[in-house]
Amino acid sequence: MSDSIIDLLVKGTWETIVMTFVSGFFGFLIGLPTGVLLFLTRKNQILEQPVLNRTLSVIVNVFRSIPFIILIVWMIPFTRAIVGTSIGVSAALVPLSIGAAPFIARLVENSLLGLPSGLIEAARALGATPLQIVYKVLLPEALPSLINAASITLITLVGYSAMGGAVGAGGLGQVGYQYGYIGYDALTMNSVLALLVILVFVIQFAGDRLSKHFDHR
Amino acid sequence: MIELKNVTKTFHQKDRIVSALSDVSLTVPPGKIFGVIGTSGAGKSTLIRCVNLLERPTSGEIIVDGKALMQLSNAELAIERRQIGMIFQHFNLLSSRTVFDNVAFPLELTGTPKNEIKTRVLELLQLVGLSEKANDYPASLSGGQKQRVAIARTLANNPKVLLCDEATSALDPATTRSILNLLKDINRRLNITVLLITHQMEVVKSICDEVAVISHGKLIEQGSVGEIFADPKHELTKEFISSSLHLEIPAVYEEKLQKEDNGTLNPLLKLEMTGKSVNEPVISEVSRLFDTNFKIVSAQMDQAGDVNFGVMLIELSGKRENYNAAIQYFISKHIKTEIIGYV
Repeated sequence: MSDSIIDLLVKGTWETIVMTFVSGFFGFLIGLPTGVLLFLTRKNQILEQPVLNRTLSVIVNVFRSIPFIILIVWMIPFTRAIVGTSIGVSAALVPLSIGAAPFIARLVENSLLGLPSGLIEAARALGATPLQIVYKVLLPEALPSLINAASITLITLVGYSAMGGAVGAGGLGQVGYQYGYIGYDALTMNSVLALLVILVFVIQFAGDRLSKHFDHR
Repeated sequence: MIELKNVTKTFHQKDRIVSALSDVSLTVPPGKIFGVIGTSGAGKSTLIRCVNLLERPTSGEIIVDGKALMQLSNAELAIERRQIGMIFQHFNLLSSRTVFDNVAFPLELTGTPKNEIKTRVLELLQLVGLSEKANDYPASLSGGQKQRVAIARTLANNPKVLLCDEATSALDPATTRSILNLLKDINRRLNITVLLITHQMEVVKSICDEVAVISHGKLIEQGSVGEIFADPKHELTKEFISSSLHLEIPAVYEEKLQKEDNGTLNPLLKLEMTGKSVNEPVISEVSRLFDTNFKIVSAQMDQAGDVNFGVMLIELSGKRENYNAAIQYFISKHIKTEIIGYV
């Protein structure tokens, strides 16, 4: 394997990692509060708001049903307005974050639904405000399952980021496609695959360990 | 201390309206332990949740320590709830926090300084006898220990009132007794008024001063525990009382039990004592008056308030011609008497 290919692989790996984790971060920044709100506004929850809940739910479902490759192209004007360009890693980060957020919101909502309802009741009986319930009860209690949600999201983003090539964002996906598929280079193709597999395994392993560490049930 | 006035609660289920509580009124005097007993689905959970407005009544008034809770804003209500402790059947501890941090939780909510939290939490853990478990997580505790943590947690706010929602229903009999003793102790030492709901007559019998019986969302009978046990009016109340007394005929007797007397057998009597009559030494009186002997086969006697009650299985022997008179004498003393058979 030539040095230039190795350089490409290293660069591609780095770009994939950046895209995955940065968009994962922004995805959570939007998805976590959305998921909490989806949960709290449900029927029989402490901030029951049927209209808001249904509106949020519809928005989340709409964004979840757009295929990612379409989302990238569809969002170009928005992306340009936010990061000033529609090509490169930073241009891929916008659709990746927006694509991940509704997915994360649903995962968060689900994690919170998994908590025993008695916990909220006990906290209310002890005089906790809704905000205190969120950050002192719901989030800490759901932490192990939120970490699992993060692993799932990051692994999904590794896959999504391969499509970042469409906007010239680079990443392992693009290396594999350009040099492996179009350039007909089996070694590069397989190296890309191996690197992606390792990346996914590392994320899953770290996620499992962290989740277990915080799980005291 | 706690006053419920004409509390009604209805739920909308699909297109029909279910009434969980209808026109419930009760008063718990300061420092007393008040029990509400009922079967599952009778509305007792809804009742106790209405007291701190975890469930908002459809109509009626709720007054705790002189404050009408229904009129308070959400923020005021959160503050008022700190005066109203509550413990639950399933404990509802935070699994992500240690025992110490669980007890510290309500203090954190009010922004208590760290060092104050520490002294207070250690003091509370001492009170419930769990000092050495401070750094354990709830998952490693037994049910009784979890309930003790929950009690310590709810006492952290210095509540004037404690609500117990089936607090001992998930515990075994020995643990139930120790938790009940703890509640009684807290009630006496800290002068906290307790309102508890339960389906176990044992709970009422062992710690309550007053009791109300709930059925289909209505309070059908209430009074001091002594009064209710001495003179239960409602059929359901009688059932609850007798359910707390289980007496089985021993196998040896079951085997030789005959339906009819053949002239040589002794009657086996079941005596049920619920009234005041029991305070007289009826059995020895009967023995003397009618020249009969008694063999106690099995018995369960108990005391609730100042009333002695229970059931007894006795084998009657002695002067055969006086058997009927003896039985009539029991009945005249308000002892429910039944001939189970002959042995």
